[in-house]
Amino acid sequence: MISLSVSKSNSQNSTHAKHGLAVSISNLSLIYKTSISKRPTFKARLKSIGRGKKHTRVVNAINNVNLEVHYGSVLGVIGSNGAGKSSLMRVISGIIPPTQGKVEVHGSVSTLLALGVGFNPSMTGRSNVYLGGLAAGMTRSEIDSRFEAISEFSELGDSIDAPMRTYSSGMYARLAFSVAATVEPDILIIDEALSTGDAHFKEKSLNRIKELRSADRALILVSHALATIEEICNEVLWLDKGKIMMRGKPEEVVAAYKEFLNVGKSASSNEDV
Amino acid sequence: MSTQVTIYEPFRAGLPPIGAYLRQLWSRRTFIAEFSRAELREQNFDSVFGQLWLVLNPLLLSGVYFLLIYIIRGSSDSTRYAHLTACLFLFYLIGNSLSGGVKSITSGQRLIMNTAFPRVMLPISATVVALFKFIPTLAVFFVLRIALGLPYSWQMLWGVPILLIALLMGLGMAITISCINVYFRDIANFLPYIIRSLLYLSPILFEVSALSPRLKKFEMFNPLFSLLDSWSKAVVHASAPDMHSLLQSLIWAVVIFLFGTYFFLSRERDFAVRL
Repeated sequence: MISLSVSKSNSQNSTHAKHGLAVSISNLSLIYKTSISKRPTFKARLKSIGRGKKHTRVVNAINNVNLEVHYGSVLGVIGSNGAGKSSLMRVISGIIPPTQGKVEVHGSVSTLLALGVGFNPSMTGRSNVYLGGLAAGMTRSEIDSRFEAISEFSELGDSIDAPMRTYSSGMYARLAFSVAATVEPDILIIDEALSTGDAHFKEKSLNRIKELRSADRALILVSHALATIEEICNEVLWLDKGKIMMRGKPEEVVAAYKEFLNVGKSASSNEDV
Repeated sequence: MSTQVTIYEPFRAGLPPIGAYLRQLWSRRTFIAEFSRAELREQNFDSVFGQLWLVLNPLLLSGVYFLLIYIIRGSSDSTRYAHLTACLFLFYLIGNSLSGGVKSITSGQRLIMNTAFPRVMLPISATVVALFKFIPTLAVFFVLRIALGLPYSWQMLWGVPILLIALLMGLGMAITISCINVYFRDIANFLPYIIRSLLYLSPILFEVSALSPRLKKFEMFNPLFSLLDSWSKAVVHASAPDMHSLLQSLIWAVVIFLFGTYFFLSRERDFAVRL
C-alpha cells in the first residue's frame, strides 16, 4: 500500500530505535514491459490479433537485490545511466510494485524523485507551494506554518506571486527544491535533485540535505556527483545493470566505480551537469 | 507506539485494503480540491469572462438545439425549451466528467511516476471540475425558469437526490474511462463520438412521452435515459419522478461506479509502468 504522510511522521520520529531498520529489501527483482509502439491503442491491439506479434520489450531493471538501510544512515546510490537506480527508488517508495521479492519500509517515506511534481505552470508560485506541498503529502496548515521559510529559502522575493510560466528554469527548480526540502519524513529519498540552480543555491541545498541528516531519519541519495556522495554519505551502493556491484565505505566504492568507468582523472565527472 | 510498517510485494490483480485506501484518500482531500482549482484556473474559469463562457456555451447550445427542434417539428413551447436546457446542463455534467476524466491518468504521468498517492484522486478531480462547471449553469437554469413562468412545487426537491445520482454516475464513468485509457490510448479519440451518441440517444432533444413504445423497450440500456427523464420531471415539470425510473438510474449509477472502481483499484498499482 501507499504510505506517505507527514503528519504521522512527526509524532513517530521519536519512536525509532537508533540504527533501527528503516528499509529492508529481500530478493528484489523488477522486470517490466515497455510497449514498442509508443502508445498502446485499441487499433494496434486489433491489428495484432491472430499474428501473435509482441508489442513489448522486456526490461530487466532490478535483478535480485538484497539491501538493508538503517535509521541514522545516509546511503548514496551511484551507477551509470540505466543501472536501475531510479527504479529501485520507485519500488521503495511504493510507486512501482516489485516483480519478485519483498520490500519492507518502516516509517513514512517522502520522495524527491523529480522536482516540481504536481506544479501547475499557470498558477502563481504561491499556489504552487500549496499544490506541490499537498502533492507531497503535507497538510494545508503545515504548509501555512512553513510558507515563510519556503519562500525565503527559494529566494524568489516578489516573484512568488507571479505565474510560474514566467519563471526561469532556475527559479522553477529553486522553488521546487524549497518545497520538497521542507517535508520532514522518516525516510527521505532524493534522486538527482541536488543539482539545481546556480552554484550559490546548490551550496545551499546541499547544506539543507546535511541538516536533514539525523539519527532518527534515513536518507537515500541518488546522484552522479561523486564528490558530494563522498562528502555526505556514510555508506554507498553501486548499482550496475540492476545488480549490486559493491556496497561499503564511500571512498572505497566511489574509487572502485571511478576505476570501472575509467574516468578517475577526468575532472568533469565530479560536476553536476 | 510502534512504527508503521509498509510491505510492498509483487503486483496481483486484486483490491488493496479498502479501509487503508479510503483513509489515504480522505487525508488527501485538500489536494483534490487544490488540484481541481488549478485545473479550473488553467482553463481560465476563475476569470469573469471564463465564468461567463461557462454559462454562455451551454445556453447557446440549447438555443441552437431549440431552433433545430422548432424547424423539424414546426412548433414548440416554453416547457420544451426548459426541458432541453435542464437536461443539456445535467448531461454536460456527466459529459465533462467523462472528457475530463479520460486523460486524467495519462496526463498525470509526472505525478504518478514520482509520488505515491491513491491514483483514484485524479479522476475524482475531473468530476469535481465538472461539478464546478455545472453549478453556474444550474443558477442560469433557475433564472430561465422564472422567466418562462414554470410552476413550482416541493416535488422539485427530488432534483437533489437525482443530482447526487448523476454525480455518482459521472464519477463512475470518469474512473472507468481513465483506467481504460491507460491500456487503450485511442479511447480518448472515440470519446467525442460516444458522448455525442449518448446525447442523441437520451431524452434531451425529445421527451420520453414522445418516444414510440417499440423504441422505449431499449431505454433501459442507456444509463442516462431514466436519469434525465427523472431530472426533467422534477426540475422542469415540478412533479415527482417515476419511482421505477429513479430506481433504474440509481442502479445504473451504482453498477457503473462499483465496476469502474473495482477495475481501477485492482489495476492502479500497475499504472506507473504503463505510462
